[in-house]
Amino acid sequence: MTLQCIDARVVAAGGRVLLGGISATLRPGRFTAILGPNGAGKSTLLSLLSAQRRPDAGQVLLDGQPLHALAPGALALRRAVMPQEGTVAFDFTVREVAELGRYPHRRQPDADEGGIVTQALQATGVAGLAQRIFNTLSGGEKARVHLARTLAQVWAPLPGGAARWLLLDEPTAALDLAHQHQALRLLRERAHAQGCGVVAVLHDLNLALRYADDVLLLAQGEAISLGPAPEVLTPGRIERLWGIACTQVRGRDGTVQYLFDQVSAESA
Amino acid sequence: MSASSGPARPGAGQTASAEGMAAPPPPPRSGRLLTPRGALALGLALVALAFVAGGASGAYPIAPAQLLRALAHAVSGTPPDTPQQLVFLNIRLPRLLLAAAAGAGLALAGALMQGLFRNPLADPGLVGISSGAALAAGLTIVLGPAWFPALPHALGSWTLMLTAFAGGLAVTGFIYRFAQGPAGTHVALMLLAGVAVNALAGAGLGYLNFMATDEQLRNIQFWLLGSLGGARWSAVALVTTVVALCCAAALAWARPLNAIALGEAQAALLGVHVERTKRAAVLITALAVGAITATTGIIGFVGLVAPHWVRLLTGPDHRVVLPCSALLGAALVLAADAMARTVVQPAELPLGVLTAAIGGPMFLWMLRHFRGRV
Amino acid sequence: MHALPPSRRALLAAALGCCAAPLALRAQPAPAASATSAAAALPRLVTVSGAITEVVYALGAEAQLAGTDTTSLYPAAALKTPKVGYLRQLSAEGVLSLRPDAVIATTEAGPPVVLDQLRGAGVKVELVPSEYTWDDVRRKVQAVGRAARREDAARALQARLDTEWAQLGREVAQAAAVRPAPRVLFVLSHGPSAQVGGQGTAGDALIRFAGGVNALTGFTGYRPMTAEALASSAPDFILTTEQGIEALGGPQKFWQRPELALTPAYQRRALIALDALLLMGFGPRLPQAVRALHARLYP
Repeated sequence: MTLQCIDARVVAAGGRVLLGGISATLRPGRFTAILGPNGAGKSTLLSLLSAQRRPDAGQVLLDGQPLHALAPGALALRRAVMPQEGTVAFDFTVREVAELGRYPHRRQPDADEGGIVTQALQATGVAGLAQRIFNTLSGGEKARVHLARTLAQVWAPLPGGAARWLLLDEPTAALDLAHQHQALRLLRERAHAQGCGVVAVLHDLNLALRYADDVLLLAQGEAISLGPAPEVLTPGRIERLWGIACTQVRGRDGTVQYLFDQVSAESA
Repeated sequence: MSASSGPARPGAGQTASAEGMAAPPPPPRSGRLLTPRGALALGLALVALAFVAGGASGAYPIAPAQLLRALAHAVSGTPPDTPQQLVFLNIRLPRLLLAAAAGAGLALAGALMQGLFRNPLADPGLVGISSGAALAAGLTIVLGPAWFPALPHALGSWTLMLTAFAGGLAVTGFIYRFAQGPAGTHVALMLLAGVAVNALAGAGLGYLNFMATDEQLRNIQFWLLGSLGGARWSAVALVTTVVALCCAAALAWARPLNAIALGEAQAALLGVHVERTKRAAVLITALAVGAITATTGIIGFVGLVAPHWVRLLTGPDHRVVLPCSALLGAALVLAADAMARTVVQPAELPLGVLTAAIGGPMFLWMLRHFRGRV
Repeated sequence: MHALPPSRRALLAAALGCCAAPLALRAQPAPAASATSAAAALPRLVTVSGAITEVVYALGAEAQLAGTDTTSLYPAAALKTPKVGYLRQLSAEGVLSLRPDAVIATTEAGPPVVLDQLRGAGVKVELVPSEYTWDDVRRKVQAVGRAARREDAARALQARLDTEWAQLGREVAQAAAVRPAPRVLFVLSHGPSAQVGGQGTAGDALIRFAGGVNALTGFTGYRPMTAEALASSAPDFILTTEQGIEALGGPQKFWQRPELALTPAYQRRALIALDALLLMGFGPRLPQAVRALHARLYP
């Protein structure tokens, strides 16, 4: 059970190459972080993996089947996508927004639909805001509601046991420090305890090192490396790609983390 | 807080998780005044009330007992035995049904357009239905006598109804096709094209006004102001059927429209057939509003205002907003028509004047009253 | 929160029931003719169109007049009768609430559905066609006479009008034999735009009756007044309505129209403005209208 890119290429309308021949195999039960400098093609890759975009060359396969062969409804039962930003028209409440995540299950609802939504809201800590109007929330609260919705979409295991996937584009962008850690911890649990495949575009290398199992490193539309986080994110690579010198340290629990110095003289 | 524990108590409210996610203060009420069932019940009650009030009012005095007997005759198939019953069955009752159908259809279309454009200011006229119908009606009134003298052109004639319906559909079809791109229907493009086409239709109508004789001008004006008095039973039956079918069909698209509120991309990721939803919304709007406008002329404001009121009271879930907008629209037009028939009796006021006169100030009142929550 | 199947079904059933109902109900026929008004009382009338209302007053039958339309502006008493709306947009219940026995209108009255509904309710609806001839007046007088059951008075009125008309015809013929017929342009203006009348219009007929000739030939109905339309017309007089001139703000404003600048009428400011109903109504005052026009054309 895998989510794969095979030599996937994406070319923008003007001819600029956004992704040039990426090959990667992602497995469920693991949290994969996609990292890279701005313009590396991270969001483009995520949109390929979520079937929002078709590759101009190459393939994207889910469990060996081309993504676009799957009906949108069937795909929505197996993978949930959290966008970078989401405005919601009209005055839906937080709970109603989260319930929209259960839309793919409308034909075969779970025995306890209400309970699933409640649990999802509780998991991201916004259950207390359930009756608030979504558009009155702060940016961080809105992001957590979207995260709850995304989780609710693939909350329960699928009959037939296929893997569920969570694809998130910068899920921590609007969150404060504490909530960044809590959200990523939550996603890590979903991967390990629930067997979901979690793929998230992140900017913060230290968060990736702490919570992600694997890192897919992109730069200028090319895949640089895919593997366990500490192996991929070496100080040398970091300096080459981001142009920032760093010093390795270890957290209290032994996790590799980096201290960053100012921008080095030759930027990448 | 473990995400894999068994079902937690629903509505547990504040949760103090082990990791210290902050327990927020008690949540304020969402302020929804009506539950879905309550809203439907209220809508049905309003329609029933407006129907009764409309049935009891009119220039021709009809005692309530006569109304009931007339209905009894109609149901049992026996002919009515007093002039009062006759007036009710032949003149007042078809108007009541047409009013209910027109109000329901216009409000439903308004709710669909607002959901499709994700904008509470959208209105069925945006996709050109009303202006297309108006232009076609104007052409028929002004050029018809010269080009097709054999056909009847009076207000309420079949010719006028068919051309208005065809004109409305044609313009909407054009705008819809114009907005097609490689990625499907581009809703913003539809909106802008609608603005341009509405302006063009207005220019065309202006030119027709310029070319028209006095009597043609009056005919156009009366058509534009809207009236329920010119429709035969057959037309009423047709419009009522079309609107009822459109209301039933629209309900199937309520949940997709909810998801579209998240944005078309997100809705697609949830498995919504976004293209099909757009097409259905535009088609249902075109059919309902086209049939209504062809029969009654232009009745404004209902499509814009009724869904707003419903949303203010029940929230934006389309599963509630679509049917309740239809009910509220029907009640509104029934009430407006009752007034139109009695305020200057024995003459009648044009209906469009009244829907704006009633709808506008009440809308302002509601906005002010619920200002905090809009 | 899920969908509401029971409520939704109920709504569907109600909606379908609503659309089935009109198919079951059909326009009901009127009950068998029962004694309406007592034989002694004269029939109540509703007249639609100003000229027909004038005939009622000319016959002295105004007591039978239950209501009129908004184009019935003469005589002044007509303004005080109950108004059933504009002649093209009548209200069925409104008319019926006045309990008329007959409705007399020109063929322009509408909407047709309303007229059908009136007939269905047992009201006699008589429509008089407009052809802009003297017969129009005859038909109107006869129709009102029949409907009001005042045939004798109608015949007397008709005889009077016929005599007047014949006399007028002789005078016009005499005057026209002596001089060439003046060219007259008939203008109908509403606001900034104006139309000119060709054949088959009320103004055209009036011009001929008064011994003039329509300055415009070759088309029927109305056309926008443009310089091209007027290029070869060279009217000596311009005939229009008083109301149109008032709406413009006076004769000076009328003559400011550039299309008129080169016409002979402009040189002499030869403008004839008559009241709209008098000019176009083709009612019992038609001889009066023709006389007024004739007097200006042959001073």
